[in-house]
Parts: sequence; structure tokens; C-alpha cells
Amino acid sequence: MAGEDATVQLEKRNEEPLNYRDGNMSSQWKLNGNNLTNTSMVINPTSNSMVESLACSSDSMADSFAPPIWNQPIIWQSLGYCDMNVKNNASTSNTLGNGTSIFGPVRSNAMLKGSTFLPDFPVMLPPSLPHFPADSGFIERAARFSCFGGGNFVDTMSPFRISESLNPYTGDSLEAFMGNGSKSLPAMQSQRHEINAIECSKEVSLPVELGTEGSLIKNDKMIENFPSSHDEAKYGIGVSAHESDEAEFSGSGFQEELDDAAGESSAKGLGSKKRKRTGQGTQINVNNGGRQLATESAKDQAEIQQQGDQNQASSKPGGNRDKSGSQGLDLPKEEYIHVRARRGQATNSHSLAERVRREKLSERMKFLQDLVPGCSKVTGKAVMLDEIINYVQSLQQQVEFLSMKLATVNPRLDFNIEGLVAKDLQTGTIQAVLPGLGSSSVPLQGSVNPQFSTVGGRLRESTSQVHCAWEDELHNIIQMGFNSNDPLNSQNLSGSPRLGHMKTEH
Amino acid sequence: MTMQKFPSNVNSVKSRFTNRFLQALKKMNKNKPASPSIRETYRRYHFIRVASYASMASVIRPRRAWSYATLWKIRNRALMKRSSRARSLTRNPRKDIGFEQVSDLRKLVPGGEEMKICRLLNETIHYIKCLEAQVEIMRNIVDHCST
Repeated sequence: MAGEDATVQLEKRNEEPLNYRDGNMSSQWKLNGNNLTNTSMVINPTSNSMVESLACSSDSMADSFAPPIWNQPIIWQSLGYCDMNVKNNASTSNTLGNGTSIFGPVRSNAMLKGSTFLPDFPVMLPPSLPHFPADSGFIERAARFSCFGGGNFVDTMSPFRISESLNPYTGDSLEAFMGNGSKSLPAMQSQRHEINAIECSKEVSLPVELGTEGSLIKNDKMIENFPSSHDEAKYGIGVSAHESDEAEFSGSGFQEELDDAAGESSAKGLGSKKRKRTGQGTQINVNNGGRQLATESAKDQAEIQQQGDQNQASSKPGGNRDKSGSQGLDLPKEEYIHVRARRGQATNSHSLAERVRREKLSERMKFLQDLVPGCSKVTGKAVMLDEIINYVQSLQQQVEFLSMKLATVNPRLDFNIEGLVAKDLQTGTIQAVLPGLGSSSVPLQGSVNPQFSTVGGRLRESTSQVHCAWEDELHNIIQMGFNSNDPLNSQNLSGSPRLGHMKTEH
Repeated sequence: MTMQKFPSNVNSVKSRFTNRFLQALKKMNKNKPASPSIRETYRRYHFIRVASYASMASVIRPRRAWSYATLWKIRNRALMKRSSRARSLTRNPRKDIGFEQVSDLRKLVPGGEEMKICRLLNETIHYIKCLEAQVEIMRNIVDHCST
């Protein structure tokens, strides 16, 4: 069978170290085809035998290529390379049609666990070699991805520049997928791909660590565990190893990354500047930093796209600038949170990341709502924040008040404990103070109970009233039993300024 | 370190805080004779307040941002006597869109100046829990002393 012959040939070629320096397109293509078959993890339900055979050969290469490998089919699927090829190469419609038919169902079944399913694609390619020059662009990119482990991206790029001009996805298919103007910058694109592949490689590792789940809530809990602010965008782009939907989502995430790559010409206008900067940034940093830049630029686009209801998301073009409210998930640099797109919602990675962020914030607000008494009826973040602020202020005021109380009470304690001499004085003060204490403690308790059910303004009032009562007590101690215990409004004017002054000592 | 929104064991926090705070109080009472002057009382008040925050923050260790910030502030105050405040103002403030209250919250929660909103909310939750524990214990102490 021709397919098997091709597979045998491909097997042999797979043993070779990947070499992309041929100027010959066809040989490049063949090698890339090897890389395709070797590294692609696309499921082909109709070619299991070939899958197995190639699986054996690819195992040797699998170690070095495993991380980025499994994303390549996603790229291909999501970018619809085959579709583009169909559009651009009518002559190859037959083979490409087959290719697309393969990739079509494959797209929905992408198994990203490192399984070595391989497509019929290499089988198709040899007979249709003359029809594929336009497709070589993406093949080269795939090859570039596959040689990710080698890391010589710049080197791999140069032989492909020529073929890049034939980039099939400068066409309308890009627009179909990304809504872009489609003038891609090959360099940026390739490096974007690099970076994306790096990201994807990292994303692969994450499921192992997290035991990925589809639910956002659980992802939120996992997000809590990672206190870094850099990867806030990444979880939106992370791909779970479990579900095909997530594979699609990751594919769309990749689309977004390619959006960034396709950059300046995008219809998103605003973000173009940022993307350019991020592109340059990513060129510089092909590492964690670059990854963050790429993802953050992706998030920029998300924000531009969405301008959501309460868009608190940060737009960080170079990864260094906070244009707007910067929120971040505290994730460590190396980890992704895998998010699943909900039914009927946009699977855009930016929107998903945005949504996850919003949900995290809302979850925390709910938690605070439970924590702060009297907030169960309150709806809306602004009012909730007001309540929280009032509550924190009231707690701090209570601390001050109680410390003042302790400051006045303690000497009495010492007297009691040490049995100092001036007992009549002490008893006088105690008796003077106790009723004051008693009477002031009543308003204190009176204020304590309602304070948890009242709005913060009233709370502050009550505590300040108690403070004023204590001011009076201080004077009482000095003046020996002159107990002017009128806790309140008349004394407020004298008491509160002093208390305010004391509070500013903080 | 996992980001816990609440102290994993509030009771242990409370007991530890109680111990440290009472130790600080005893120490304070030993050293100074409790003269009932206003100034002395004020000084004690200040000392007690700082001691309560410091003991709570030390119980939490510098694990949380707010506890770390509190301890840092206290140490700076002890060392530099408020000259460090000028330094803290040089940092770039975080800009928030959408909610003006967030900036107020940043001022309230120690160390909240430069956090992102998400982390700020986490810290606020933890801070509120610890503040509640602190207030409760201090109130118990005061009630015990006053009886």
C-alpha cells in the first residue's frame, strides 16, 4: 500500500535528526512531512496501522518533541490549514479534500496526551507534492514547531523565508479564523509560534501537576494556590489533556496567538501597537518572559475585544505597563490553569481568561460578603466594597479602642495584683471607673451587637461614641471620680478630634 | 505556600495571639510604673495597639502580605522613627479602573498599595479574619480586667 510505503520511508527519515537547512523545497517538504508525521498527534481514525508503525518510529523522537508536538495538530486543526489549502489550491482539492476530511473530524477529537496517532496526511502528500508548495508554509511552521526541542528557531526560519511568501494563510482563511487582515510577519509569526509552542509545552506539563478539571470553580481553587502574577493570562490559553472541547479551545487560543503574530494589520486597531511591542518583546525573550508577553498581549486583545461589563482586566502591552486596573491571578510562572469554555459562550482564549478572572473576583467578593456582616442583601461590587471598607475601618477602630481601654485598665490590674498602697485612691478610681465601665460597656455591647447588623456609618458612630465615653473615663481617673459619663453627642466634638488625632498616629 | 483565604486554624491563631499579646502586656506593666497621667496612658495605648498588631502579625508570620507589611512598618518605625514613610510614598501607586473604593481598601489593608485587586481581596479576607480574632481577644482581656 502506498500509505505503508510512505510510512516506511517516513520512519526511516524519522530517525534522522531534523534538518531544515535544505534549500530544496521538496526535500524540505519531505522532511517536514516527516516531522509532521513524526510529531503530529492528530487522530486519524482511519489509519491506525500507520499510526502504530509511525508510533514506533516517533517514540525515539518523542521525548524531545513531546511537549510541543501535541499542540501542532491543534494548530493545524484550529488554523484550518487544510481548509486554507483547499481555498488556495483548487488543483489539490482532491488530496486536500481528503486531508481536510481527515483533519475535520480530527479537530474534534484531538487527543493531546501525547498519544501517537498520526494522520493520513503524509500518505497524501507524496502524490500531491507538486500541489503543495503553497502549503509548505505551514508545514515549515509545523517543522519549526517540531524542532522546538532543538531551539534553533532563527536558523530554521531563514530557509523558510522564501516559502513563507507562499504562506497560504495570508489569505482569507485567516480572516475566517482570526478576523485578521492577514498580512503576517513571518518572523514574528514564527517566533510567536515558538513562543506559543513553548507555552503549549508548558501547558502540557500542567495537567500532570494539576490533574486538570474542566470546571472553572476548581480551577479557581487551584489558581489560589499559585501566588504569581505573571501567568494570569495563561490559564485562558492552557489546554486540558482531557477534553476535545478544550482542545478546540486551545486551538482557538492558538488562533489568538497567531492573531498577535499577524499583528499590526489586525482589525483590532488599538491592540496593534501593543502587539507589535509584544512581538518585539517576544523576540527578545523566548522564555518565560516572552511567554508572558505573548499571553499578555493576547489578553490585551481580549480586553479590546470585549470591553466587558466591568472591565477590570489589566492590559499590559509590554508586560510592564499597567494601563488599567491591574488584576492578576497569583499564579506561578510555570503553571497554567486550564479553563473550559462553557456552552454558548465564546471560546476565545481572551474571553475565557477574562471570564475566569471575573469569576475569581466575584468568588472572592462573595466570600467577603459572607464574612462582612450585614452584606448579604447588598448587591453590586461597589456597594460591597464600601461595606468591606467600612467593616475593616470599624475593626481597626475597635482595636484602637480596646487598646486604649487596656491602657487605662491595666494600671488598675497592676494595682490589684501588686496590691499597691493608695487603695482608697484606687478604689475611688475603680468605683469611679466601674460605673463608667459598666455604663460604657453597655453602650459598647450595645454597639457591638448592632454593629454587625448596621451599615458602617452607624457603626463608626457608635464606636466613636464609645470612644468619647472612654475619653471621659480617662478624665475621671485623673479627676478622681468625677464621673461625667454622658456618652455621647455633646462629647463627640471634644472626643472625636482627639481620637482622630490618635488614629492618625497609625 | 497555598493561598488560604482564612487562617487554617483560627483557634490556634487566637491562642497564639493571646499568648503573645499578654506577654507584651506583662512586659509593659513590669517596666513602667502605671502612672495615670494622660501622657502615660497615651503612651501605653500606643504601645498596646502596636503590640496587638505586632503579635497578630507575628502569629501569622510574614506569610501573608499584610502581616509582612505590618511587621515591616513596625520595624521601620522602631528603627527610623517615621523617616521611612517618605520612602514608601515613592512607589508607583496602582491604578484601578472601575472601582474607586479599591484605592481606599488599599490604604486600609497593610501592604495593599501595590497588590493587584485579586490578591488584595485575598489579603483583605485574611486580614478581616485576623482582625476579628484580635478584636475578640482584646475584648475578652478587657472584660476580664474590668471585672
